[in-house]
Amino acid sequence: MLHPVIEIRDLHKRYGSFNAVNGLNLTVQQGDVYGFLGPNGAGKSTTIRMMMSLIAPSSGSIKIFGMDLHSRRSDILSRIGAIVERPDFYNYLTARRNLELLGQLSGADVSRPAIMKVLGMVGLDARSESKVKTFSHGMKQRLGIAQALLHSPDLIVLDEPTTGLDPHGMVDMRDLILELAADHRKTIFLSSHILPEVELTANRMVIINRGQAIIEGAVQDLLNAGRMKVTIETPDAARALACINASPLAKHVHSSTDGAVILMLEKSEIPDVAAMLSAAGVALYGIVPVRSLEEYFISLTRQVA
Amino acid sequence: MILTAYRVEMSKVFSKWRTFIGFLALAVLIPIVVVGMSMQGEQFFKFATAGLKDNFDFTGHLLNGYAVAYIIFSSLYLHVPFLITLVAGEVLAGEATSGTYRLLLTRPMSRATMVNAKYLSALTYTFLLVVCMAALSLGLGIGFLGTGEVFIIRQQITILQGDDLMWRFAFAYVWAFLAMATVASVAFLCSSLVENAIGPIMTTMSIIIVMTIISAIDVPLFDYVRPLFFTNHMNSWKFFFDDPVRWDRIVPSFITLMLHIVGCFAAAHLIIRRKDILT
Repeated sequence: MLHPVIEIRDLHKRYGSFNAVNGLNLTVQQGDVYGFLGPNGAGKSTTIRMMMSLIAPSSGSIKIFGMDLHSRRSDILSRIGAIVERPDFYNYLTARRNLELLGQLSGADVSRPAIMKVLGMVGLDARSESKVKTFSHGMKQRLGIAQALLHSPDLIVLDEPTTGLDPHGMVDMRDLILELAADHRKTIFLSSHILPEVELTANRMVIINRGQAIIEGAVQDLLNAGRMKVTIETPDAARALACINASPLAKHVHSSTDGAVILMLEKSEIPDVAAMLSAAGVALYGIVPVRSLEEYFISLTRQVA
Repeated sequence: MILTAYRVEMSKVFSKWRTFIGFLALAVLIPIVVVGMSMQGEQFFKFATAGLKDNFDFTGHLLNGYAVAYIIFSSLYLHVPFLITLVAGEVLAGEATSGTYRLLLTRPMSRATMVNAKYLSALTYTFLLVVCMAALSLGLGIGFLGTGEVFIIRQQITILQGDDLMWRFAFAYVWAFLAMATVASVAFLCSSLVENAIGPIMTTMSIIIVMTIISAIDVPLFDYVRPLFFTNHMNSWKFFFDDPVRWDRIVPSFITLMLHIVGCFAAAHLIIRRKDILT
């Protein structure tokens, strides 16, 4: 049976008259890879800082592992690994020494093999004895992941974990997140601006704007709901367009070019379009739904704005 | 948990080069003074006692390790606080500057534990610096120049025999630790207030300079505030070299310094425990 790992209820954070977080509610279940999305200034980092007890909420409650964060702070934090915003470390210490000191404070196994193992997971084992001041941003980001994993936490909070990583690093990070969730049964709370990353890794997500949740649910359910942009790639775009304009789908034509017609369709309408064009003898290269989380995200936040 | 946090803090303090500036300064300066005094110290004492020659006849071994240690103590006493602030002023604000508060305060320990560990590490550094000063000045002084009497000219002339001096130095160095702990506490409080490491160092130095200047200006108006300044009580170590020891002056100074230490530490505690970490 799944249990809620994070329960946030009516959370507020006010700075003077500004509401950084304004009545946020969300629930993260055990084993979720939970995407936490929102535009800049939506309140994501403020929420994460409140979850990590770095700032105090103005009102509302945060329960993690069924315990109240305010009264059971240390018990909760001993089971969380986190990267909060930038991956800053003690630059005058080596990567291994940073992990050793932070691990001691988390009650982790800080033996050399244990630290080298976690550094190996993020590809930094060869640089374990280098001072962090010599690290690139991407390497610090990897080290941030390593410190979050060192004490084998049940919940991993990742705030923009792929920022500064090269494409290989981003793929590695995505694979690591999926591995942690699938093989190690970790619950992952993933805040990201890179929306395909959430699309490819998260099973559930919330989109917040102006400190409030706009929508929360399963990623695939949310993506498959409503109309999406569908590109019909064809060598005969004019004929395809004429065919569509003669059908009830005419009102859903978005635009057209020499090689493609773009429609706004529901997912269930795509097979009908394919059948109709095929029956009309229109040659097709492909019908590509271009609905991305990015478009969904932008359309939702615009609606609210 | 406090012991683990303390060990971690000490590791951090002694991994920074700035921590060693103070020890390096003392290790360079004190030997230079001792060697200089051993070579030309007689002239120094002739000059110092020149005004008393008409009334007193000086015999014996005035240039000795104790006398040099006393002179070094008097000279360095106003400068060591600046070395203390380099570390104590950075101990909290440095975490804010480097963004590592986020790492530190997301560990499963209370903020109170973190503050206690950091404060203890600042006090440990202070203690080690005072021990270093004592060991170098007394050790090198006695090693180069041997022991003897100390001739102290203040409001009265006091001559202290060699076998009557070591315990006075011991008390004086304990007092030095207390005074420097007060400086460290003020720097620690300043460090809790701001989010850049230079601010607390400059602020603490400014406080010491302003208080010292006001204390030195002989205006009746300042008579009321002077006893409240911790800088005014830092020099009370000298009363251990009066005969008899001026406990009537030492006890109020002790209370004043302790009040500053407790007050600054409690205020820093309160500030950090309520602080929103936004860096």
